[in-house]
Amino acid sequence: MPGMPQDLEAAEIGFDKGTTELDALQRAVYAVADLMTVDIKTSDAEYICTLFPHHPEESHDTLKHRIRAEVIDQTLRLRIAKETEPIRNLIFALAFSETGLVGGEEAGE
Amino acid sequence: MNLKLLHHATDVPPSGWQLLPMRFHRFDGNSILLTNLVGEHLFVSQDQFLAVMDGTCTDQELLARLRARHLIQRPGDRLPAELLAVKLKTRLRHLTDSTGLHIFVVTLRCEHTCRYCQVSRQSSARSEFDMTRETASRALALAFRSPSPHLKLEFQGGEPLLNFPIVKWIVQEAKRINLDYGKDLAFVIATNLALIDDEILRFCNEENIDISTSLDGPPDLHNNNRRRPGQDSWQKAVAGIRQVQEKLGPGRVSALMTTTEASLDRAHDIIDTYAELGLRNIFLRPISPYGFALRRRGGAGYEVERWLKFYETGLDYIIDLNRGGLPMVESYAAIISRKMFSNKDPGYVDLTSPAGIGLGALVYNYDGDIYASDEGRMLAEMRDDTFRLGNLASSSYEDVMLNEKLLQPLTDSFTLSAPMCESCAFEPYCGADPVFHHATAGDFLGHKSTSAFCRRNMGIFKILLRRIRDNKFAQDLFWRWGQG
Repeated sequence: MPGMPQDLEAAEIGFDKGTTELDALQRAVYAVADLMTVDIKTSDAEYICTLFPHHPEESHDTLKHRIRAEVIDQTLRLRIAKETEPIRNLIFALAFSETGLVGGEEAGE
Repeated sequence: MNLKLLHHATDVPPSGWQLLPMRFHRFDGNSILLTNLVGEHLFVSQDQFLAVMDGTCTDQELLARLRARHLIQRPGDRLPAELLAVKLKTRLRHLTDSTGLHIFVVTLRCEHTCRYCQVSRQSSARSEFDMTRETASRALALAFRSPSPHLKLEFQGGEPLLNFPIVKWIVQEAKRINLDYGKDLAFVIATNLALIDDEILRFCNEENIDISTSLDGPPDLHNNNRRRPGQDSWQKAVAGIRQVQEKLGPGRVSALMTTTEASLDRAHDIIDTYAELGLRNIFLRPISPYGFALRRRGGAGYEVERWLKFYETGLDYIIDLNRGGLPMVESYAAIISRKMFSNKDPGYVDLTSPAGIGLGALVYNYDGDIYASDEGRMLAEMRDDTFRLGNLASSSYEDVMLNEKLLQPLTDSFTLSAPMCESCAFEPYCGADPVFHHATAGDFLGHKSTSAFCRRNMGIFKILLRRIRDNKFAQDLFWRWGQG
């Protein structure tokens, strides 16, 4: 396809299923899409990721480091989101009460 | 002794706190930026962050700062959630007051041929490209349906002064209609000032109309960008600015600049031009990726990173001018500072979520077409009518505001649910721009890892936050800008 990078050599990296959530892995893959596309397959114990670089100047080590760091950050973000979900819902419920933004409700009521 | 007891009374034991909703960004070096639900922020080190996450932190001063920023709370606390809710409600308050800005494109005619013009201007003689009274009347009827208690009517073109009779008529008619509505009405004419005269100035003075003009910097730069017969656009603009300052007052005229390739090394010259004219606000703006600007810009295009360098140089110069005693404001930084240091949303159409299209602004073209934003109108100049919401001759207010062509991009681009945006530490400062992403990526959301909108705005947030963290004078300055 015109404009697509030439096929570059792919790299492979595995993530332990016991410590990595698929959601975090998929979010990480989305976040690094400027550098690479990633194919995720599963084995019994691991998510096997094949990394397809966009740019020849990025080494395989750089790509692996980047996705590892991103997976750690996304895992932390998911953990924060999970731990704070009840209070986030409470805050939004309080914020949207009496605003008139909820159907049938008058502002300032 | 009492003080010590009180101090210990506020101590938080290990694992004695709960996380509040927060986002983080690895900033630079060992520094991590934390932001809460409403954009209050704190910088911590990586070790501090991890200690807070895993419940081992014993640094009471850090825990106190985290509690003060509503990033953590003690189990059973109720106040943080209630305060965050009040702040969030205040930030979202503008949503019930849509639509505040109504742009009337009163003519496509223009006597300038600017290199970066976004619309298909017409020659000065072709009056078929003027808005008629019938169209203007329908536009006013629709504008007054908006729930907002504040209506700003902005006259654009082309060059709106080429159809000044309709501007006069709209202003007077709006004031007549408003006797029944009692809204806070404001008027702005966006003009190149080449055609300003005493009669127009008198009318603007009597009717309390503000003037917004374009000034790209020193004469050579401005006249190269903004061409007109005689190559005297800068001279006309500057003479006009001085006339408005003299006859209407110094605060009644503002200017906007557009950064072209030729501007990138001249941030100081551009800012000096504004300062010498007594203009105390400057909006360092990148070139638009829309309409004719995109089609024609040719050599005027540049990478986001080069523009960020220009912005950083300009902002530092403005900080230095302030430090030297000359009060000067960079408008975009002021908008973001307001989001960082206050809970009042500045209502800036390009930096809000839900997106500002339709909710923040509506555009009435000379031919009656209604657009969700000025950029949507510019896209239509490239035969893309994605953001055309109807026509004044046939569309009701309900047709416009409940149009799927408005609701779909609002929904798709909402940052609290958009991939990467929802977990981005800069989300409280940022916004959704479905028009930009439609124009550049082909959908309303775009892909944030490759989005130029995202790169530019994240770059600016980092420039500001780095100075807030490292430079006390800049921190105080941005805080003052943030108070409006």
